[in-house]
Amino acid sequence: MHMKRIVIDYQKCDGCKSCSIACMQAHRETQGTVYDLDLTDPHNESRNRILKDADGQYKPLFCRHCDDPKCVESCMSGALHKDPKSGHVFYDETRCGSCFMCVMNCPYGVLKPDTVSKTKVIKCDFCVNAGGEPSCVASCPKQAIYVEEV
Amino acid sequence: MKYVIIGAGVAGVEAAKTIRQKDNTGEILMISKDTDVHSRCMLHKFIAGERDEQGLDFTEKDFFENYRIDWKKGVQVTAVCPDEKEIALDNGEKISYDKLLLAGGADSFIPPVGELRKASNVYGLRNLSDAQAIVKEADLAENVLIIGSGLVGLDAAYGLLERGKKITIVEMVDRILPVQLDKYAANAYQALFEKAGVRFVLGRKASEAVCEADGKIHKVTLDNGEEIPCDLLIVAAGVRSSIACLEGSGIECDRGVTVDNCLKTSKADIYAAGDITGLSGIWPNAANQGKIAGANMCGGTEEYNDTYAIKNTINFFGLVTLCVGRILEEEGDQIQIKEDKSQYKRVIVKDGKVQGILLQGDISHAGTWQYLIKNKIDISSIQKNIFDINYADFYQVAENGEYQWMS
Repeated sequence: MHMKRIVIDYQKCDGCKSCSIACMQAHRETQGTVYDLDLTDPHNESRNRILKDADGQYKPLFCRHCDDPKCVESCMSGALHKDPKSGHVFYDETRCGSCFMCVMNCPYGVLKPDTVSKTKVIKCDFCVNAGGEPSCVASCPKQAIYVEEV
Repeated sequence: MKYVIIGAGVAGVEAAKTIRQKDNTGEILMISKDTDVHSRCMLHKFIAGERDEQGLDFTEKDFFENYRIDWKKGVQVTAVCPDEKEIALDNGEKISYDKLLLAGGADSFIPPVGELRKASNVYGLRNLSDAQAIVKEADLAENVLIIGSGLVGLDAAYGLLERGKKITIVEMVDRILPVQLDKYAANAYQALFEKAGVRFVLGRKASEAVCEADGKIHKVTLDNGEEIPCDLLIVAAGVRSSIACLEGSGIECDRGVTVDNCLKTSKADIYAAGDITGLSGIWPNAANQGKIAGANMCGGTEEYNDTYAIKNTINFFGLVTLCVGRILEEEGDQIQIKEDKSQYKRVIVKDGKVQGILLQGDISHAGTWQYLIKNKIDISSIQKNIFDINYADFYQVAENGEYQWMS
C-alpha cells in the first residue's frame, strides 16, 4: 500500500534537535509558542529522538508507521491501530490498558511510557491534528527528514 | 469456501481479519464460549469497576459487520470430526467447514488440593465470565485468598483492592512474580501491594481446603499449619490448553495441539493458533499466530518464526517493569546493575550476548532489547556502557524508509 512516511537521510542530520523541540511544541497541552515552551516540563515529551552511535554519528529515531507494525500486534486493548486509508499507526489513549507491551515489542525502541503518569504511550501521530506536514519535518534546517510517498 | 474459527480471543480475531483480507467472498464463522469479545489482559480493570464489558473489547468498531464475520457466541464445541469435516456444539448443532482454526485458548488450572475443584467459591481468572463471577461473589466476601503471585494473581488482587477486600496471597516460591523478576524487583512490587493492604505468605503451599455446609471453602490450611480464613478464592496457578473437545478427533496433541511451522495440525485443513498450541502464553505471539494461520488457511505458506516468548511487561501502581529473557543467574554470567532512586536495571551477558534484561521504573525505548536477546546479537564490540546501547548502534534504513535490522 502507498503511504506517506517521514524519510530519514541521517547523514544530513547535524543533531540540532529542532525536530524534537517542534514535536514537543506540537504536542504540548498548554497554549503558547515555541518561545515559551517549557523544555524541562515532563508533560512536554518529544515523540522523536536524536541518537548518537558509538562513532558520534547522529541517528534520528522516528516512528516508521511500519508496514507490519509490531506495536499494533502487541496491543491488547485495541488502542493502537494501523489506519487502512493513510497507513499511519494511530493511538487512542482512551482505550489504552497501559500494559506497555508495545514498548517491549517495537524492534527499534521508538516507544516509551509517558513520564508523568505512566499510563500512556508517547507515540508519533504524524501531526494529523496540526494539519498536513509533520512539525518535525517543517522544522528541520538540513532536510535530513522529509515526507515522501512510499 | 467456509472458514470456521473456534475461539474469539486475539488469535481467532486476527485470523478472521487476515482471512477476510485474502478472501473477499468466503464465509467466515466464529464460534465461542465467550459472549463478549474481551481482552484477558484487562480483566482486573473489570473487577476494579474501572471498565465495563464493552471497555474490554479490543476489536475495532463494528468488527463483525465490517469484516462480514458470523459469530455464534455462548456455545461450546463438544467434538471435532476431521473425517466428516464437521464440528459438534453443545446445543446439538453440527457445523461443517472447509478450513477450521482451533483457537479456543486455555483454561485455568485448579490444582487438586483439598476440595478446591468442588467448592463454589473458587475461581480462576481467565475469562470475562470468571471476572463477572468474582465480582458477584466479592459482594458477599470480606476475605479473599489468592493462590499464586504471578501476573494473574496480582491482577486479581489489584482489581479487588478497589473493592476494599482483605486480600491474602499465598505463593510457593520465596518471592512474588517468580517467573518474571529477581528478588530486588519483586520486593518493589511486594512493598506496593503491602502498602495497599495485601498480605503475602511466601514459600508456602495450600495443603488442605474443605467445603463447608454451604458448598464453599471458608478456610485454607497451609503446609506449615497456618489457617487462612477466606470467603472467596482465586487460583492463579497457570493454565492448560483447552483440548478436551478434541478427544477422539485424532488430532495430535501434546501439552497443546501439535502444529507444524505453518500452524497446521496433524489433520488436513485444520490449523491451530494461540494458547491452545501451548507455544506461548503471551498476546503478541497469539496475534501473530492468528495472522499466520489465517493466511495459510487461504492457501498461504507462511511460517511462524517469531517464536520468542520469554518476555513481559508489568505495570502496577504506576511502577513499570519490562523483562525479557533469562532472569536467574547461571555460571559464567556477567551481571551488570544500574540503580538510582527511580529505576533498577539489570542485564545478564554471557559470551558477548545479552541473555536477559530487567528494567524497572524506566522502560523507555526498551524495545531493542528483545531484538538483541532473541536474535543472540553479539554486542561485545560496541564501546559503550551497556545500558546506553540502542538502535543507533544497529541503524539501517530500508528503501521504503522503514528501519531494519542487519540480517
